[in-house]
Amino acid sequence: MSPNKLRILVLDDEPIVCKRLKPALEKLGYEVDTFTQSPEAMLQIQQSRYDIIITDLKMKEIDGMQFLSEAKKRHPQTEVIVITGFATMETAKQSFQKGVFDFIAKPFKLTEIQDVVQRAATKIRGAAA
Amino acid sequence: MLQHLKDIWNKITRAKPDLVAFPEVFEHFQELLGDHQRVMELIADLGEKSGGEYIFDRKYLIDTTEEIQNLILHMVKGLNLISSNRYLDLYSTIDRIFIPLEAELRGRLTLSREMPYVLALREAPPDRPELIGGKANALSIIVQNLSLPVPPGFVITTRAWRRFLEHNHLEERIHGWLEAWAAGEVDESHTSRQIQYSILAGVVPQVVSAEIRRQADKESFWAVRSSAFGEDGELTFAGLHDSFLNVPTKGLVKAFKQVLASLFSPESLVYRKRMGMLGEEAAMAVLVQEMVASTVSGVIHSLEASATEPDCLVIYASWGLGRTVVEGRGPVDRYVVERDSPHRLRRQEIGRKTTLSRRLAGGGEEVAPVPLEKQEQPTLSEEAIQTLVRWALSLERYFKRPQEIEWALDDAGQCWLLQSRGFLVPKATVPQSLSETCAQYPVLIQNTGGVAHAGVSAGVVCQVQSDADMNRFPEGAVLVTKYTAPWLARIVPKAAAIVAERGSVAGHLATIAREFRVPTIIGVEGATDLLEEGLEVTVDTKSRVIYAGRVKELLQYELLQTMAFEDAPEFRLLRRLLTRIAPLYLIDPAAPDFSPEGCKTAHDVLRFIHEKAVQELMDLPRFAKRFKGVQIWTLVTDIPLGLKVLDLGGGIDPAAEGSKLHPEQFRSRPMQALWSGLSEPGVWSTEPVPVDFKGLMSSFSKSWGETPGGSGTAGFNLAVINETYLNLHLHLGYHFNLIDARLEPESSRNHIYFRFVGGVTDLTRRSRRAQLLAKILSQYHFKVDTKGDLVVARVLHLPQEDMQERLKLLGRLIGFTRQLDIQLRHDEDIPEFVEAFFHQMMERLDAGDTGGKYESQ
Repeated sequence: MSPNKLRILVLDDEPIVCKRLKPALEKLGYEVDTFTQSPEAMLQIQQSRYDIIITDLKMKEIDGMQFLSEAKKRHPQTEVIVITGFATMETAKQSFQKGVFDFIAKPFKLTEIQDVVQRAATKIRGAAA
Repeated sequence: MLQHLKDIWNKITRAKPDLVAFPEVFEHFQELLGDHQRVMELIADLGEKSGGEYIFDRKYLIDTTEEIQNLILHMVKGLNLISSNRYLDLYSTIDRIFIPLEAELRGRLTLSREMPYVLALREAPPDRPELIGGKANALSIIVQNLSLPVPPGFVITTRAWRRFLEHNHLEERIHGWLEAWAAGEVDESHTSRQIQYSILAGVVPQVVSAEIRRQADKESFWAVRSSAFGEDGELTFAGLHDSFLNVPTKGLVKAFKQVLASLFSPESLVYRKRMGMLGEEAAMAVLVQEMVASTVSGVIHSLEASATEPDCLVIYASWGLGRTVVEGRGPVDRYVVERDSPHRLRRQEIGRKTTLSRRLAGGGEEVAPVPLEKQEQPTLSEEAIQTLVRWALSLERYFKRPQEIEWALDDAGQCWLLQSRGFLVPKATVPQSLSETCAQYPVLIQNTGGVAHAGVSAGVVCQVQSDADMNRFPEGAVLVTKYTAPWLARIVPKAAAIVAERGSVAGHLATIAREFRVPTIIGVEGATDLLEEGLEVTVDTKSRVIYAGRVKELLQYELLQTMAFEDAPEFRLLRRLLTRIAPLYLIDPAAPDFSPEGCKTAHDVLRFIHEKAVQELMDLPRFAKRFKGVQIWTLVTDIPLGLKVLDLGGGIDPAAEGSKLHPEQFRSRPMQALWSGLSEPGVWSTEPVPVDFKGLMSSFSKSWGETPGGSGTAGFNLAVINETYLNLHLHLGYHFNLIDARLEPESSRNHIYFRFVGGVTDLTRRSRRAQLLAKILSQYHFKVDTKGDLVVARVLHLPQEDMQERLKLLGRLIGFTRQLDIQLRHDEDIPEFVEAFFHQMMERLDAGDTGGKYESQ
């Protein structure tokens, strides 16, 4: 692991989302771990710190809301990006006025999420500087 | 806008309170138009999503399909309300189309009754590895999309396998034996023997064997290979299942069973157990192809396997049939060739080839010694090497993974492609500095345009503006063009990437680009200036960057590292859904299959409903009654059109009074544009055209009733308009024109649909005129279909000013072609008239008013 690589965790129970996000973000130079099972991701954030977390909201078992609260509680510096179905976008925005870096509605463009992640990274690097 | 329309409507109804029928008709028609627009957008969306730029999940596919279905149901209801229930058949049409779609979405279609037992490779449906197995799936794509020479043959599908199991009551027994093995009660060789014996002793059902005989209808020799689902995909199963070469026709049914049995060889059982696939249904298809009389055969690795020379590919070759190389039976020739053009042979290592595998006269094969003088002779000529290299690179470009390719050279010296599959090269880790490396290459274009197909590719820029340019388009070049003209489709398979200034990611060319997996970006203003002819560029449509030069690090990273999104199950599912949703087969409204039964896709149903709704609206016997009291304007003009205008709102100057309308009072943007062409001086020639005798006789004997496509509007024509919409039915002499257009600031909402049919003179001449129109329209980037004397042209999603220019063109064309077929005596006249037309127009056009048309072809 390179010291200046930012770490990203992706959680979405649709495997296609993880499969496509991982290489797209790795290509930009991030270190990416993906999870399709929320309990596993939950376990992971208890052991390891991530700079950016990208999570779906609607999932079986632990839902996204619970997951990101836990992540924020552990590491308030972690930037969280929420991906959610188009229909639930407004509710999502209302529920997370604070603490979420940005929202993205599904389906979304790869370049769209890459942009958001780059912005989050700029913020993190700015804060660290 | 709808509110606006309603207000206008209220005004009308208040004025004529006694009308009942029309408001309903009108409202349903309005809703129908709205639904139509929405469904078209959803279909375009689905197409766009299949290009790889978006991340979507199954839920999106389910929701969108459902929305399309609901909207179409709503339209059917509307149409039936307008037409007093004359189209109730459409409900069963919708079921016929949408029930399989739902089954697809639930993942249950593959083995349904709809699927055949045996299928010719050439006719295999796209993306059905679960039906025909991985190997046959790849081959059918190669035959159908890449047109490489593959020995002809057919596939006995997984459905035949299931039928075989049922027929012999094998399913439960096999399951039981496998369970016993998994529980450790017996060993794999015992289990394998039990299962294989029962398969070999099974009876192939009559329906299956009859189908096999129908495909193999001649005495010949065949190669019979396994094509299991999952094989050649993520898991390779390489060499685990048997192949039988040189099988005589009469031995096919037996060979079929032998291949099925090999699915349960001890090695295969162990492999599947290790991969955790034992619980899953094994699905085996069998590929049968004519034997190639190979004198040389071998394997290509499109990337050198150890990757010590990542700029090279390697060809292995030996005398005789392929087993010598594939099974590694001794020294073979090894050719190391550079991947970059001109593909220099870097090294050849000639092995001492002592044995070869060859065909036996009655069937089967044997191993024989190689004559001494040929043992150390090279097997391949420079020419054969070049052919194989070209294939390998084009296969790799298509499948986006390094490829392992089996090939053969027959006794006439022709190369044959036997199979191609993904080739596992050890995955490189992400180079720490990929983004930094890329940053060292000059960026020519960045962050602009819409992605029609995502991918990374490199090549030399070739700008195409005409037919002549197309003929010199080199394999593997980057196509740079102003418009996504449908006539460019022919060179798409050769292109490494496509960059277009204007067009639609939902248009025809984008669809073709996706079919051939060519990275494509559309809407890159200035591309034809920035990307100069002959410049080598790397096009990364995943990140929307175009670099100068060949960014080797990026190309290699993409090839080795990333998953080809096209192979993800969601994308395969989407492509399958699209085949039942997007294509338009109903072209000719006068054809007998222009009916609910004739609809094959959702798009067909949409087309049918729209056509019939307009027809109902304009059904003249009822028209007068229905529109009694409704404001119908009469256009006052020198041009003898006899045009009546129905304004749905905002289409004409509010200050217009009475019932007479002057052209300058049009406020409907598409109508204004059309009119500007139609009314140009000289376009509307009223002078009689010289008519030769044959043409004249034909025109005398022709009666009104023969004019197809219309609803017999003797005497007058009708335009239905609003501010942004135009639907025009125009009978002129013996011609029938239909234009349906929408023109809005948001280009993704714009369309023009143009139909032209009928005419004086015999059918041959009318067909000539159809060809002439097709030629002119396609130069303006319309997607054109012709059938006899019918022309249907469509263009989508161009910016408003481009659409206006095209409507203006249609206006001119309507005038120009009015009597043209009389003049078209020979096919050879067509180019001349095309020239004449352009010449005539160019003279008249102001500078800069060319609408982006290219030089004539």
